[in-house]
Amino acid sequence: MTGITVGFGHCIGMCGPIVISLSLQLKGRPSFWPHLLYNTGRTCTYGILGALVGGMASFTRFAEHVGGLQKGVMVATGIMIMVMGLAMTGWISTSVIFRAAPPVGTFITRVYKQLLPKKNQPYMYLPLGLVLGLLPCGPVYTALLAAARTGMEAGNTLSGMLAGTGLMICFGLGTIPALFLVSRLTDLRWLRYRERVYQIGAALMMVVGAYFIWKGLRF
Amino acid sequence: MTGKKKPLTCAGISILFFTFFLFAALIENTFAAEAAPDCGIHESSCTKTIGNYSVELDIHPKPVAAMQDLTFRVSVTGGAISQTPYIDLGMPGMHMGPNRVDLKPSSTTMTFEGQGVIVRCPSGKRIWRATVTLPSIGNVDFTFDVVY
Repeated sequence: MTGITVGFGHCIGMCGPIVISLSLQLKGRPSFWPHLLYNTGRTCTYGILGALVGGMASFTRFAEHVGGLQKGVMVATGIMIMVMGLAMTGWISTSVIFRAAPPVGTFITRVYKQLLPKKNQPYMYLPLGLVLGLLPCGPVYTALLAAARTGMEAGNTLSGMLAGTGLMICFGLGTIPALFLVSRLTDLRWLRYRERVYQIGAALMMVVGAYFIWKGLRF
Repeated sequence: MTGKKKPLTCAGISILFFTFFLFAALIENTFAAEAAPDCGIHESSCTKTIGNYSVELDIHPKPVAAMQDLTFRVSVTGGAISQTPYIDLGMPGMHMGPNRVDLKPSSTTMTFEGQGVIVRCPSGKRIWRATVTLPSIGNVDFTFDVVY
């Protein structure tokens, strides 16, 4: 229930731009499976976090260790969205974009390329969802607090992990309808003259990406 | 562009702008002025009234920081209460999900304590609200800032 209310009340605003960016990136390809995989990945990550917190029976011990990682995920998400937007505009060719990438980012650029319209492998949305599930988020923290409490009340570590996993998966499932709705709204296959809309969307994606980078650096 | 195709393109652009407008509203929320705190919880406890009752809220350790274990203490004067109070934590104007601090009677009469955590909001906003509820009597809000 909390996931549903938070989904429509909070997630649409915060994660909506990510979902829109991913939808635009599909450029008219079917969006159902990519978004289902993205949301499945996100929910799986919540379940894993729930297991950790439920097993530890402490949210604060968990929070001590993940702050830096979440900051990195937020900045990386911003960069990803900016690169996607830049690639979509066609103003700069993707070969130029990735030629400028640092050598240490070879693996990352290979992953990014899988998401670009040319290759766009739907299965990539699952690992993407797994990673983006780590984005810092107030309602997720609140749900993890509840998972920690169920862990405290459980008789042992395993029970705590299972209880935490169950709670967080339920939370994640509750957030899916809102984000799925956003993805359906931005599925523009039915629209003619989509290219102009994609160009506008690409420019907005770069603004969104910059915003995520800025938030991540401030986090 | 013919008259038949125009509405479809306009609808597409409208959908995009509506959705990004939602996001712009969220960005504006990030930069907009937050609710003003009415409780200096970092320096001392805060006291408010519900009818004839006086409710004192205190949080330790100080300064009150997010993402750490906090002890919440509520003291009630002005009359007997039949049920244990509780505290709901939230942010003004932002739905963060339910975060309730369950209190238990402490060794001091009409004083209740509980453990809780104030989570960090990635928006950067630091104003939080603790709503202390005396069941069957009423509730009162304490608004304060937290350290990130």
